[in-house]
Amino acid sequence: MDAAALLSFCQELVGRAVDAGADEAEVAVCAERQIESTLEGDAIHTVQSHDETVFGLRLLRDGAQGFVTANDIDQRTLGESVGEALDQARLNPPDSFNGLPEPSEYRGIEGLYDEEMSRIGVDDSTRIASTLLERVHQHDRRVRVDSGSVSFSVMTSAIASSKGVALVEDRTNAQGYLFGMAVDGDDIASFDYDGESSCTISDFEAKLLEAADRFSEKCLMGLAASGGESFCGTVLLSPDAVAEFLLPSLTTALCADAVRKGQSPLAGKVGEAIAAPQFTLVDDATLPGQVASSAFDREGVPTRRFVLVKDGILQGYLYNHYEARAAGGGVQSTGHASGGAGSPPGIGPTFLDLAAGEQANEDLVCAGERAVVVNRFSGSTNPVNGDFSGVVKNGFLLSGGERRAIKEVLIAGNLFDALRGVSAGSRERRLIGGTRLVPTLRIEGVSVTAG
Amino acid sequence: MSDALDLLKLAIHDCDGFVELRYHSKLSRNIAVEKGKLEKTVARRRLGVGVRVLEKGGWGFASTGNIDRSSISQAIQQARKAALVSAPLRSERASALPKVKLAKGDFSQPGVDEVVGRPLEEKLGMTRLLEERIRAAGSSISSASCAYTESLEEKAIVTTDGAAASFRLVRPEIRLQAVAEKDGVLSSGYESVGVTGGWDCLFLNGSGEFFADKAARTATDLLGARRPQGGRATVIMSPSIVGLLVHEAIGHTVEADFVQAGSVAAGKLGQRVGSDLVNLCDSGASEFAPGAGGTIPVDDEGVVAAKTTIIRNGILASYLHNRESAARFGVQPTGNARAWEYADQPLIRMRNTYLEPGTSKLADMIESTADGYMLDGPRNGQADATGEFMFGVQEARVIRNGKIGELVKGVTISGIAFEVLSTVDAISDSFQWDLGSGYCGKGQPAKVDAGGPYIRCRVLLGGQQ
Repeated sequence: MDAAALLSFCQELVGRAVDAGADEAEVAVCAERQIESTLEGDAIHTVQSHDETVFGLRLLRDGAQGFVTANDIDQRTLGESVGEALDQARLNPPDSFNGLPEPSEYRGIEGLYDEEMSRIGVDDSTRIASTLLERVHQHDRRVRVDSGSVSFSVMTSAIASSKGVALVEDRTNAQGYLFGMAVDGDDIASFDYDGESSCTISDFEAKLLEAADRFSEKCLMGLAASGGESFCGTVLLSPDAVAEFLLPSLTTALCADAVRKGQSPLAGKVGEAIAAPQFTLVDDATLPGQVASSAFDREGVPTRRFVLVKDGILQGYLYNHYEARAAGGGVQSTGHASGGAGSPPGIGPTFLDLAAGEQANEDLVCAGERAVVVNRFSGSTNPVNGDFSGVVKNGFLLSGGERRAIKEVLIAGNLFDALRGVSAGSRERRLIGGTRLVPTLRIEGVSVTAG
Repeated sequence: MSDALDLLKLAIHDCDGFVELRYHSKLSRNIAVEKGKLEKTVARRRLGVGVRVLEKGGWGFASTGNIDRSSISQAIQQARKAALVSAPLRSERASALPKVKLAKGDFSQPGVDEVVGRPLEEKLGMTRLLEERIRAAGSSISSASCAYTESLEEKAIVTTDGAAASFRLVRPEIRLQAVAEKDGVLSSGYESVGVTGGWDCLFLNGSGEFFADKAARTATDLLGARRPQGGRATVIMSPSIVGLLVHEAIGHTVEADFVQAGSVAAGKLGQRVGSDLVNLCDSGASEFAPGAGGTIPVDDEGVVAAKTTIIRNGILASYLHNRESAARFGVQPTGNARAWEYADQPLIRMRNTYLEPGTSKLADMIESTADGYMLDGPRNGQADATGEFMFGVQEARVIRNGKIGELVKGVTISGIAFEVLSTVDAISDSFQWDLGSGYCGKGQPAKVDAGGPYIRCRVLLGGQQ
C-alpha cells in the first residue's frame, strides 16, 4: 500500500470502530520493507528480506480504553480487532484522563526519506556487509566479529483519528552494527560493539566504515587487562557510557508517567538544581535528516525542541497526551508519545543533545591524578532511586602517570549524586546510535572496587 | 494447527534443495495496573511464515505475513535468491546439514485451553487485586504495579528433509513491583513468575498474594538498608541467582556461534571448568520441576529439543548447536535453534538452563558459613565473552557466624564464570525454576528459564569504598 492507501486504511478502520460503538478511535499503521545481510563468526551468514504491515487500534468508550494490534489486515481480522478492543473498553474502568489529541499544525522534517535507498537490493546490503568485515580484518586480525548486520528499511507511517488527525510520513533507514571481541592467544578481551544509522544512503557506507574502526579499537582496548585499584574518586564516562548508562535512567526519571506514579526521584524538582552547572540536556525530534526525527509523535502531536535540563536546573518533564491531562494545570503534551503502531503510546525521548564541555578529552584528567576510564558499563541502575553498580568494560586505570587496561573492576554509586558530581565535560562529542549526541563526562565521588 | 501444517506441506512439496518453512502465530495479552490505575490492556496478534533456503552453501531467509500458498511460494523464491547472493561471499560455504531424526507429529503442551479460556474479567480482576494488595501492605508503600501477560504460540515446521511437526503452548506471567518511600528516599521490591503451562504451574512456588506481600516487604526493608563493603566474598546463591549465573555467564559462552567467534569456552571441551560438584544442563523439557518458562518440544529447525549436558562433574562436555554448527563441529544438533517470531531467523539460543541438585542441606550450608552473604532475587545480568559476569541482586543479607543477618542494598556481584564454578563447595538438594519471566536478548528476544539448587561459592561484591 502506498501512503494514500495507508491513510485511507486508517480512516476506514476508525470509521468502522466508531460505527461499532466507540466514542473515539485512533488507528496507526506502519508498512515496512526491509532487506538485511547478517554476519556471524567472522563471515557473511544470511541474507534476508521482510515485508510487513502492522496496525494498532486504540478506541475509547464511556471513558474506558481498548487497544489491539495485528500484522494481518484482512477484513475478518479487522472486524475481530474492533470487537476485541470494544470488549476491553467494556471491562476496563473509565479514566477521565483518557482521550485523543486534536489535530494541530505540522511542519515537515527534511531529509527523512531517500529515494535512492528505496532502490537498494540484497546485492548492495551484502556487498556493504562484506566490505565492513574486510575493514575489521584489515584493521587487526585479532578482532573477531561474533555478529553484525547491514540493513535498509523503507517505511510509511500513517495515523488517523476520529478527532480529525490524518498524517503520513515516509522515511528510510540504513543501519549497520558489529558485535565481537579481540582474541590474542589465551587473552580474550571484553566484547564490544559499534554501529551507525542514517536516513540517507550517500554517506552511510563511509560512516559505517568509521564505526568499524571504532569497533576494532574498542575491542583491542580490552587486551592485556589486569586488576585495578579500590578507591572512591574520579571516573571518566566515555560517550558510549554516557549514552547507554547515564542517559536512559535519567530520561526514565524525566518521563511524566514515572513522576505521576511516584517512581521518579526528580518529581517536584522543576526549577531546582539536579545536576552540576555545566549539565544541559535538550531533546529535539525536529532536526533534519536524523533517524529519531519526525514531524509528529505516536499519537499525532507535533514534535518540538524541548529543554530538559539547563545549566543543571530541571526545566520540565516529557509528556504524552494522557500524562498532560493527568498532570492538569494546563499542561500540554510535549510531543513525546513514543512507540510504534504495534504498541499503545508510551513516553520517551527522541534525539538527546547533551551540551559539550570546555576541555579537550586529554585534559579531563591531570597528570598524576587517579581515575578510572569507563568505556562501557555492564551493570544495573535502579530507576526508582538511581543506585547503580556494575563492571567497567574495556576500561583503563589512570594512576601515577600511567594508563593501563583493567578487568574485574566494579563501580557503584547513585546516578543522581553522579549528576551533581559532574566536574567537567569534553569539547568533543559523539553521536551514539544516531539518537544521542554526548561528550565524555568526568564524575567525582564514585566507589571503585577491584577484584 | 493441522491446517497450517498441511499448507506448509503443500507449499514445500515440489521444492528442490533444502527448504525450511515455519508457520508461527503469537497471540499475546497484556494487562498492567499501577498505583490503582489500569494503565493498559493490549491484545497483540502476529503471525506469518518464515522461510529458509540453503543453496550452494549460502543461507537465504524471507518471511511473509500472508498465510496463503502463493505468498509462501514467493517468499521461497526471495529466500532462494538471497541464498545465491550470500553464497559466493561466505568465507566458508555452509555444508550439508547433518542427518538427524527430525520431529514428526503434534507436540502440543498442556495448559493452553485452561489459560486462554479464562475470561478476561478474571485476569483483569486478579491483576487489580494483587496491585491493591501491595499498596495496602504498609504506610511506606508509595507506589505499586502488577502486570499480567500471556502468550499463546502455535507453530508448524516442515523441511524438505523430513521434519513435519506442530505444537501449541501457552506462557502466562505475572510481574509485581512495590515502591517504598521514607524521608524522600525511594526503594523498590520486585517479584515475577512465568511458566510454560497452566495456572497450577504459574502458582507452583507460591500464590499471587505471596509474591505481592514479598515485593512489598522487600521494598520496605530496603529503605533502612546500608551498602555493603566491596570486595571478595563467600556467598550462598538462591536458585534464581544460580539460574542467572548458568544462563548468562556459562550458557552464552557455550553457544556454538559464540564459541566459533572465540568465547572463553572455545577449545575447552574435555577440560575442567568447575568443581566436581558441578553438573550443568540445558533442556527443552522442564526437568526436575514442571512449568519451566523456556520449554519447547521441538526447535525451529524441527529437531527434538532434548537435554544437553554442558558440564559433567566439572568437565566441559558439550556446546549448544543448531544444525549448521553441529555439521561444522562434527556432532549432533542439540535442538537449540530458536526464532522469536515468524519474521526472525532461528539462532542458537538456550531453553531451560540449570545446575543439577547436590546433596547438601541449605540449613547446613548457612550454618557452616562464618562470614558471607545470602543472595536472592536477580535484578538483571550480563556476561562477557571472557566469562566475566555482572548481576544485580535485590536481596542480599549478611551471614555472620552461621546466622543470617541484616539486609544490604545496591549489591552487584561479578566474577569469571569458570573460576567461580571452581570455587563451588556446596550444592543443596533442592531445585527450583526461577527465571521463567525472563527474556534473553541476542538481536532478538527468546523466552528462557533457568534455575537449580542453592550453591555456595566466592565472587567479587560491588559496594562502598
